[in-house]
Formats: sequence, C-alpha cells, structure tokens
Amino acid sequence: MDITLFLQQFLNGLSIGSVYAIFAVGYTLVFSILGIINFAHGAVFTLGAYFTYFLSGGAVGTNGLLANLALPFQFSFAIALLLGSILSGLSAIAIERLAFRPLRLKGADPLLTLVSSLGAALVIVNVLQYLVGAEIYTFSEGIYGDLPASINLGTAERPIMIRTVQIIIFGVSAVMVGILTYGIGFTRMGKALQAVAEDATTASLLGIDPERFITLTFFVSGFLGGMAGALVGSSVSIASGPYFGIAYGLKGLGVIVLGGLGNIPGAIVGGMVIGLAEAFVPTDFSGYKDAIAFAILFVMLLVRPQGLLGRSRIQKV
Amino acid sequence: MQKLLEIQNLSVNYGAIQALQAIDLFINEGEIVTLIGANGAGKSTTLKAISRLVNPVGGRIFYQGQDVTRMAAHQVVRSGIAHSPEGRRVLTRQTVLTNLELGAYGRSDRLGIKADLEKQFLTFPRLGERRQQLAGTLSGGEQQMLAIARALMSRPKLLLLDEPSLGLAPQIVLEIFAVIRQLHQQGVTILLVEQNANLALQTANRVYILEAGQLTLTGNAAELLTDERVRQAYLG
Ligand SMILES: Nc1ncnc2c1ncn2[C@@H]1O[C@H](COP(=O)(O)OP(=O)(O)OP(=O)(O)O)[C@@H](O)[C@H]1O
Ligand SMILES: [Mg+2]
Repeated sequence: MDITLFLQQFLNGLSIGSVYAIFAVGYTLVFSILGIINFAHGAVFTLGAYFTYFLSGGAVGTNGLLANLALPFQFSFAIALLLGSILSGLSAIAIERLAFRPLRLKGADPLLTLVSSLGAALVIVNVLQYLVGAEIYTFSEGIYGDLPASINLGTAERPIMIRTVQIIIFGVSAVMVGILTYGIGFTRMGKALQAVAEDATTASLLGIDPERFITLTFFVSGFLGGMAGALVGSSVSIASGPYFGIAYGLKGLGVIVLGGLGNIPGAIVGGMVIGLAEAFVPTDFSGYKDAIAFAILFVMLLVRPQGLLGRSRIQKV
Repeated sequence: MQKLLEIQNLSVNYGAIQALQAIDLFINEGEIVTLIGANGAGKSTTLKAISRLVNPVGGRIFYQGQDVTRMAAHQVVRSGIAHSPEGRRVLTRQTVLTNLELGAYGRSDRLGIKADLEKQFLTFPRLGERRQQLAGTLSGGEQQMLAIARALMSRPKLLLLDEPSLGLAPQIVLEIFAVIRQLHQQGVTILLVEQNANLALQTANRVYILEAGQLTLTGNAAELLTDERVRQAYLG
C-alpha cells in the first residue's frame, strides 16, 4: 500500500473510529452506573439522526403518517446537531423513566431490564416507521454551508483527499470526548457520578441523590448516542430507515465489551481500534467489514477477557 | 437534656425475616450510646433505618423533634446525621482526598470544608500523608479512619458508627476509640454499634442490648459493665 493511500485510510479510520467512540461512551456510561446494557441505545442513535435531519430542514418522505411534512424553518447544521442531540438526551431520559426506573424501584433482576430496554428499542423503531416510513433519508447537499466537499491534505502531485464531513465528525467527537473526560474526571459532579457508579448506596450516605445522577447519565448517554447517529447519518445517509441504529448498536456493544464494560477510556480506545481496523479492510472484502470487526473482537477477548482497559476480575477486596 | 434522636416502635423486615421488632430507643444530645448484641441481632439494620437505607414497616424516627421516617437517604445526611457503615465502604477507585471531599457533598461553604479537611488530617495524620493515594490501596485500619473522617466531613450532629473495630489490630482499635472519645468531647453525639462490648461499655454513657431484633436490656454503661448477665453473655 502506498503512503498516500495508507494516510487516507488512516484518516478515514480516525473519523469513523471517533464516532464509534462517542457512541460507545454513551453506551458504557449507562452500564457503569446501572450494570445493565441499554439495548435502546441503538434506537437513540437512529432518533438523533432523524431529529437532526428534520431540524436542518429535511422533509419526511412519501410514506408514513407524516408524509411530506417539513419544518417551516431550518437551522444550520451545527444548531440542528446540538438541538437534535439534546432531544436525543431527553428521549433517553424518557426511556429510563418508562423501561428502567419502574423495574429498578421494584428491585427486579437486571435481566428483566435488559429485556424491557430491548422492548423500548422495538417500540421506537416501529413508531418511527409508522410516522416517517422506512425509506432511506439523505441529508441535503448544502448542509455544511459553503465548506468544500473535500479538501486536499497532500500536495497537488500526491493528493490526500479527505471529505470535509470526516473532519467535522472527528473534530466534534474529539471535543465531546474532551468535555466528557474533564467533566467526569475533574468536576465535583463528575466525582459524585463516579461515586454513584462505584457504590450507589454509599453515595447516598454522602448526600448524593443517586436517582438524579442516573437521570443525568441517561441524558448524557442519549446526547452522545444521538449525536453519533446524526454525524453518521449526515455522512452516509440514514440508511435502512428506522433500522439504521441496529447494526451500530451491535457494533457499539462489541466496542464496549472490547474496551471493558463500564470503562470510559476503554470505550474510546475500543471505538478507535474497531474504526481503524475497518478502514484497513481491503475493498474486495468490504462487504465483510462487520464480520471482520467482530472477528478482531473475538480474538482480542480470548487474550484479554476483561477487555482492553477493563479491570481484571481478580480484585483486592 | 434534650433528645436528639428518638425511635418509637420501629420494625424492619427483609422479606419474611423480621430484623427489628418494635424497638424503642433514644439518644440525648451530647451522649455516646452503644448498641451491642450478637451477630444478626439487627444492629446494622437499626443504623440503616436511621440513615434511611432500609424502609421500616412500622414505627417512627424523630430527629430534633422532626419526623424523618420517610426522608430520602441523601437528605438525612444534609440534616446532620452521618453514617459510617459496616465494612467501611470507602470509594476504592477514588483518592483519599476525593473520598473526603465527597463526604462534604451536601455542603457549599468552601472555606468551612477546607478547614474541616485540615482538621481530619490533624486527627488522622496517616490520611494526610496519603491524600493522593487510592482508597482501595489503604490498609484496613486506614480505611476505617477514612470512613470516619468522611462521615465527619458532613459536620454531623449525630454520628452513626457501625463496628469501627472490626478486623483491626488492637493498637489501631485503641487509636480509633481515642478518636471517638475526642469527638465526643468536641460535642458530637454518637451511636456506636460494636462487637467489642468491653470497649464499647467503657466508652459509652448508655447501652442498649439487642437480641434477635428486640431490645432486651438498657441502662447506664458503667453499671452494665459489672452486671452479671451482661458479663456472661457479652464480656466472656
Ligand atoms: N439485605 C438483607 N436481606 C435479607 N436479610 C437481611 C438483609 N440484611 C440483613 N438481613 C438479616 O437481618 C438480620 C439482622 O441483620 P443485621 O445486619 O442488622 O445484624 P447485625 O446485628 O448488624 O449483625 P452483625 O453483628 O453480624 O453485623 C439478620 O438475620 C440478617 O440475616
Ligand atoms: Mg452489622
């Protein structure tokens, strides 16, 4: 492989890896605080893509209850992305209230919550299909304003073309990771959140209200999941309609297992690893990208069952 | 003397197990009261009911004359009751400093918190030397000191201590009890649950003895220390 192609693939990998990373961080956050995998996270990814699509002026297709509807106004992509992510965060809070909290307050087995989160995912997908149909939505061309579609990072003789959207994806994801790392690691609220994740009962003895932090966690998780969906959707279209998030949900699950369940730096590293690995899959095999990603995952877990950065199971008590 | 805490008719169940059966107990302001009893008698459950980690099925808890039976756990701390739980429960993945700072989570007086931090490091110099160490890597005795110091960071009026001597070397136990007496002199009211009945009776003003979820005996600590029944059952 010549160096130009290598660099190009590397930048592609960084871009898609960074979006896997923020999606996976949202996924793993809920696990870290509740010890439950939130299967509805993939559905929130889809919601984020739709919210941002409509807010940036996109119209509903010809199927579904809301056929041909569009907002009477439109936001710039940056504002639409921000509002779409906020709406996704609020949707995640609603999912928590309906599918998680009632079971938690009854002290139900976490396995039941797993099933109810799966149920929430199916409801969202079906309602979306009912409302906006199952067609493919593509963000309009001029969505990034006057920015060129791609820029050349190389020279005129040896061009290294990279799509603008990939730079945007990488930039936005990197900023989110930075804010999150600072917020969780270095602020009073972040430390309280970590306390709830380690031991909610003890946290409540310190004056921390665990329920408030569970709500906050779902918001942040949904915000990141929805933003990831919007970024991917704007880059490659909302393929497979309401089922858009399902494949990403599965891959995200792979990423957080790879990184170590509940481990935030692990989710970031895991996302980058999977994204880069996919980018270097030869074009002849690109149809098998997902299978290859999971094969890598499987081999890595054989070597490190606790995940890349997960704590080993043997702990000092 | 004024009653700081009063428990009336308190019952707690875990499913079919009746852990507490209609117990009555009070603590005056400024007292050290100790609660002793065999394993499984319901001592920890009593403390958990006060700090609202368990829901009673019957009875009332009054703190400073106010009914707190249904208050949320995180509000109980803010009203002045701190609980240093059984098994210490320090946040193992956080530093000593963060554990202490989180102990003051309900407070917003920055200067007061800072002063109280320094005060803990004065009382427990070992914690001061290890302020950046992860709490999970502390020795058992140091973790116990941290659990007590963290509880104190909320500036409690009433301190609930669950078996602070558990699993510690005799020398460390004496250190911890010296601190408990010192806190008492500074005016903190204390409810002490202990396996080490001898030490507890020497430290406390009054005693309650709990057997299988029921209070069977209460009285002056100094008197019960020489009581024949108590000596046989708890002091060996
Ligand atoms: N979460 C729980 N679920 C079911 N039963 C419980 C639970 N916690 C305590 N119990 C039971 O309630 C009773 C009282 O327990 P508690 O922990 O209050 O005893 P204790 O006096 O503190 O004992 P120890 O000295 O061993 O700490 C015991 O029979 C115990 O088995
Ligand atoms: Mg106990």
